[in-house]
Amino acid sequence: MDAVKRALDRISVEQIKLELLGTAYNSSSTFLGKLDPRTLLVWYLFFAIVPWFVYNRTILLGMFILMVITTVLSRVSPYILFILCFGLISQIGWLFLLSLFFGGGIESLLPMLTLTLKLSVISLASITVFSSLDPERLSDGLSSLGVPDMFAFSLSYGYRILPTLLEEFHQILLSFRLRGQRPLKHGWLYCRTAVYYLRIVVLVFYPLMLNTAKRSRTTIEALETRGFSYALNNPKVKKLKLSYLLMKWSDWLFLSGSCLYITLLFWLGYLHPNLLY
Amino acid sequence: MREPVLELKGVTFTYPGADQPVLHNVSMRLVEGDFTAVIGSNGSGKSTLCKCFNGLIPHYYSGDFSGEAVICGLSSEGRSVAELSRHIGYVYQDFENQLVRPTVMDDVCFTPLNYGFADYKERGERALALTGLSELRNEFIWQLSGGQKHLLALAGALAMEPEILVIDEPVAQLDPQHARHIYEILRRLNVEYGKTIVVIEHHAEFIADYCRNVILMDNGSIRWQKPVREAMSSVDELLALGIYPPDVTQAAWMLQPGLRLGRLYPLNVGEGKACFIHRDKEVVPSVLFTNEVHLVEKEKEIVVQMKDVRLSYRTIHRTMNPVLNGIGLTLRRGESVALIGNNGAGKSSLMKLIAGMVRPTEGTVNVKGIKVNGLPPERLSGIVAYIFQNPEEMFIEDSVRKEIAYYLKARRLTDTEERVEQMLHAFRLSELAEQDARLLSGGQQRRVSLAIGAAIRPAVMLLDEPTANLDISTKQEMVKVLETLRGQVETVVIATHDMQLVAEWASRIIVMHQGRIIADGSKDEIFADGQLLQRAGLAQTPLMELSQMLGLPHICSSLEEFTQNVALQKEGPVHSGCCQTGA
Repeated sequence: MDAVKRALDRISVEQIKLELLGTAYNSSSTFLGKLDPRTLLVWYLFFAIVPWFVYNRTILLGMFILMVITTVLSRVSPYILFILCFGLISQIGWLFLLSLFFGGGIESLLPMLTLTLKLSVISLASITVFSSLDPERLSDGLSSLGVPDMFAFSLSYGYRILPTLLEEFHQILLSFRLRGQRPLKHGWLYCRTAVYYLRIVVLVFYPLMLNTAKRSRTTIEALETRGFSYALNNPKVKKLKLSYLLMKWSDWLFLSGSCLYITLLFWLGYLHPNLLY
Repeated sequence: MREPVLELKGVTFTYPGADQPVLHNVSMRLVEGDFTAVIGSNGSGKSTLCKCFNGLIPHYYSGDFSGEAVICGLSSEGRSVAELSRHIGYVYQDFENQLVRPTVMDDVCFTPLNYGFADYKERGERALALTGLSELRNEFIWQLSGGQKHLLALAGALAMEPEILVIDEPVAQLDPQHARHIYEILRRLNVEYGKTIVVIEHHAEFIADYCRNVILMDNGSIRWQKPVREAMSSVDELLALGIYPPDVTQAAWMLQPGLRLGRLYPLNVGEGKACFIHRDKEVVPSVLFTNEVHLVEKEKEIVVQMKDVRLSYRTIHRTMNPVLNGIGLTLRRGESVALIGNNGAGKSSLMKLIAGMVRPTEGTVNVKGIKVNGLPPERLSGIVAYIFQNPEEMFIEDSVRKEIAYYLKARRLTDTEERVEQMLHAFRLSELAEQDARLLSGGQQRRVSLAIGAAIRPAVMLLDEPTANLDISTKQEMVKVLETLRGQVETVVIATHDMQLVAEWASRIIVMHQGRIIADGSKDEIFADGQLLQRAGLAQTPLMELSQMLGLPHICSSLEEFTQNVALQKEGPVHSGCCQTGA
């Protein structure tokens, strides 16, 4: 129990904030982080959609290996990886339990492995791309690919405001705790304590929303005085803003390399569809 | 005659749904290169007035508008806010909400980029250089301190190189040195770059030192627009509206017998020095008295004890950032402790340690014999109450009554009703009991936050900047409310920049600097040491400075005390109109 307690102690709102922001913004130092956002988005589009339609396990495995490499290249935070693995394992776990319940056996694991492989490829692709693209470049990339500017801006603003919101969440949570009463006994398996915490975590959102609503009045007004709506109606501004985006030779190299790998992979996959199992 | 850059002609405005107009037949003009302060009590229409300048009224707030506003020769009628905003930069009171980009550089370039200036980066750089933020250009906004954010909001407005700058309460949350810094920047913009500057300001000392003209708003109309000395010398009129002129001015006014109208008074310490002389009559020096009190307190029961406490925070770059470096501190029963120091000196962190909200990296914190390190905050909540700087973060219910009762109900105390009533009464909240605390005014919100804390009947109450963002008359009221607190709580600790508050309220002062305690003593010990205050990023109040300059037997902190000790010079030297009968 002590180990659990220590692990829980390490998870604080502050910690989560740092991890999130680190993942979001600490990316321009990696190889993938230096690529043009459009390259990454196009690349991601392929790996987020195609695996759904592929049942060839050799191809999936090949994609998985590529994803592992790009994940390592983009230096993803261990927290995020932990959450991913936890999600995948628990997913498989309960599906397996369910299959046992309906009379399945160990052999039902194999088809599930295929599904897991697909999910892993897609998740790792998402992690790679989104931890290599800071919200700013993501928003500019989307905007240059034709996504409405309003949406692209909200995306980057969402990230800008995230630390503020987390900070406030933390403060309000503390207000609840400083004035609240934790159950005197932990209860069976810490049940009572858990219920107490879950309850206040939910309750915190109400004051948070009200305060945010109040605050956003100034933001909207300020956007007006800072010429935001002027920019929206002015294509020249968009061009100026995106003028820094540039496809470099590394972008073409990355894209053509990926294409080559995938072509070879499909060829290999059709020759040996059951290389794995 | 210089050209008017801004002119309002007979402007009347009513917010949609309101019965009374907020602005009533307002006419005014600002000439190029003006530095004007807009003053007035809360709700007199100061912010509303300024929102007419850039067309937010009537274009953004679609109320009932009549009259005309002319900005840089352009009538606001038929022009959008965006168009008018090219000429006028606006910095909000809650400036944090106007920063919409993640990094400093992005934010400062945001406006010029929106207007399609190809040189937006150069403009951004220039604005950063003007505000002294160039070093921080790649920082994230959320890593900046409050003062830096404020400078950035200002830089964002400057990047457009507007003719006019409007700043709503430039120094509300800053320590005295940072506040001076902002005003020095504004003065430079005004003098060297010829910008017209309008500030909404409560602090008369800054108005006296930096502004040239003053507009007094009262009930939605402009009562007058005068040069600063004439304006500040209308002491009776200002006091009647709850606006406090500089202390030096008030002192001269109090000493001036007979007809006061039309007289011009000194505005600052320099002028005051020439005006006042030390009265020979010896007034009982209170130095001995306060020292005695201090001695007696040494023997009282210990409430908080900290031993060699260190605290570091993790940063995004996975490094540790030390905020407290070896704090040893003992607080006793009955003390009124003021924790002073500049922004970022570690005041809030120290208080959070006592409240158990953060765990020290090293060392121990004891409160009432309980070791706090790592104890959940719920366990301490009956002993320590922490009042946040922003009262809104304490509001977790939908009415004032429920806010106060929350703690009591959570513990199922039998006398809940009774205690809530008592608190509502003590903090004059009975009228507001059923309202949502978020919708109250700044001063009322503070009172609610204090009532919440006091209802707990804690041994220690910790207040973070209780007078920040309040206008001066509300602040005066807060001092009284703090007196109420003295009866309910054993020890009160206040972290503040407000030297006035410290002077009027504290029995013990602790000065912090860069995570260390650099001084700890009584009022007279601390305030006499100008260098110490300087080092800690603070400043003496004008009265303290003057009492030292005039060689008074002790440092005076209140006006009454000061005026008892000095007299006006009979034949004062002519000093830019000081102590002279006005024309």
